Amino acid sequence: MKLKVAMVLRYVILILGAAIMLMPFLWMLSTSLKTQPETVKIPPIWIPKHLLFSNYVNALKEAPFVQYFINSVIVTTVTTLGQLFTSILAAFAFSRLNFYGKNILFVIFLGTMMVPGEMLIIPNFVTLSKMHLINTYGALIIPWLASFFTVFTLRQTFQSVPDQIYYAAKIDGASDWHYLWHVLVPISKSTITAVTVLQVIGSWNAFMWPLIVTNTEKLRTLPVGLQAFTSDAGTNYAWLMAASTFVIFPMVVLYIFLQKYIIAGISKTGLKG
Amino acid sequence: MEVTFKDVTLSYDGKREILHHLNFTIPEGTLVSILGPSGCGKSTTLMMISGLLAPTSGQIFFGDQDVTKKDALARKVGMVFQNYALYPHLSVLDNIEFPLKMAKVSKKDRKKKAIELAKLVHIDDQLDKKPGALSGGQQQRVAIARALAKEPSLLLLDEPLSNLDARLRIEMRQEIRRIQQETGVTTIFVTHDQDEALHISDHIMVLNQGHIQQFSSAETLYDNPSNLFVAQFIGEPVINTLDITDFAGELDGQIDADILQRTQKVGIRPEALQDHNTVANTLATITTKVTRSEKYGREKNALLEFHGQRLLTTEVQADVTDGQELPLYLQRNGVYLFDKDGVRIFGGDQDA
Repeated sequence: MKLKVAMVLRYVILILGAAIMLMPFLWMLSTSLKTQPETVKIPPIWIPKHLLFSNYVNALKEAPFVQYFINSVIVTTVTTLGQLFTSILAAFAFSRLNFYGKNILFVIFLGTMMVPGEMLIIPNFVTLSKMHLINTYGALIIPWLASFFTVFTLRQTFQSVPDQIYYAAKIDGASDWHYLWHVLVPISKSTITAVTVLQVIGSWNAFMWPLIVTNTEKLRTLPVGLQAFTSDAGTNYAWLMAASTFVIFPMVVLYIFLQKYIIAGISKTGLKG
Repeated sequence: MEVTFKDVTLSYDGKREILHHLNFTIPEGTLVSILGPSGCGKSTTLMMISGLLAPTSGQIFFGDQDVTKKDALARKVGMVFQNYALYPHLSVLDNIEFPLKMAKVSKKDRKKKAIELAKLVHIDDQLDKKPGALSGGQQQRVAIARALAKEPSLLLLDEPLSNLDARLRIEMRQEIRRIQQETGVTTIFVTHDQDEALHISDHIMVLNQGHIQQFSSAETLYDNPSNLFVAQFIGEPVINTLDITDFAGELDGQIDADILQRTQKVGIRPEALQDHNTVANTLATITTKVTRSEKYGREKNALLEFHGQRLLTTEVQADVTDGQELPLYLQRNGVYLFDKDGVRIFGGDQDA
């Protein structure tokens, strides 16, 4: 009996939590289909009388969201792939190769993880402006091509692969390069997927940095574009919510398909939320 | 391929020597076991043969060729590891093909070769499975096929049976022997299990603390152990070891006084203590007291007390009761004497 009560209580709390989390999403979805007067009605209505899909068309017409979308896709793809490439190589070096100063270097890199990202915004901005990269894709991409968080996570995984597999590959005639890409990377697939997903979400949602290093419409990514749209669209909540839906839609799809890896990635590293 | 070690020494950090001045030759086409307790350097020796580890000094020859400076790939060895080390993301077929793929063999040829090998090791009905879906014995078969894929100069096996259960171990060791005989590849087998080594090999190298204790056939190891370590390491039940001072003149007159003078330890095989004087081979008669006798299956053991020391015999035929006095005939061909350095100075073939 006691157990049952606890069970019911647990589910009630979970459902409440889920409802609170979902509320803004549902409000966004429903508002994106409302007419202008409906959006400000009190008490709020949840299901609009007529589903006004034209809000999406109008929102996309009002600002170059397609351009923003393309920018986001480019930045996210290049950053993620680039970062993955450098991180895999670095993680391999830290886990398998022996070189002078390996441990000291590792500790120094580890130290960089303890510096809050906000502190790096100004120095990074200054560096990039000296390199005349402000207002280019380079500014959006280059600073994120290396991530020690990813290196660290991959190194842990690479280290858990038994030495004997490495020796077997060597005996079978594989070079280090071959072993890395044809044995180690496929074996570590789940961790690599997890860090990739985390990076994609991070890149896609990045706001502060793209806002600072770009000031032309042509280079805006979706989050920055959305922010700009807020001031343009003013209080037209329906349009605003239509645009927001458009922005988060890819991430929701990604999440639905890869949630297993995202949860694994977060619980494995315990570092990122 | 014949393998020769010339004065090979390995030390870590230039200080601690792991292997000391190894000199041996493994004849072509044979199956040789490297046997020793854990930490004796047997796996390290195998790593040096494979080229995964370089010796600190000395030379390694494959045939006439000095391969000391060559890496694992150039030496063309095949190796099977204790935990099989199969690539978990590849199917059985792809695992066997992997070394051929690295050697840039055409897709058609490597598939043909891989299937051929899978048949040899009796795994051809599992080709599409991933290693994780196979039993330990099947994984081991795959590992052997993979090691044989590039037609290696040598097949190296590092404790290949220790992750298998007892029954499977016996089956697999016969399989390894069969595969070795069918392919004729020179095979080096590392194990800590004397039973495995005795059953599988043409020759056995006994290693202890980085020194070769003896390198000979299984029979010679048992009949003519070159020192106390080998005598104690080989044989089940273990040889009885007594101090010469435990004997009160029982051996006098039977063995040269000069040898007895130098003797420190006496080794007596359990089967050399007989309660019946059948063969005219008796070295001495000793009087013992039965402390306990046991019988399981066809094995019959008796624990005895002799001048306060414990002895074990497998050759008591009469029904004995605990506490009973029992005279025993010490058989000449199971008694060994060792000097203070553990070197055999009496017993076995004197010149072996």
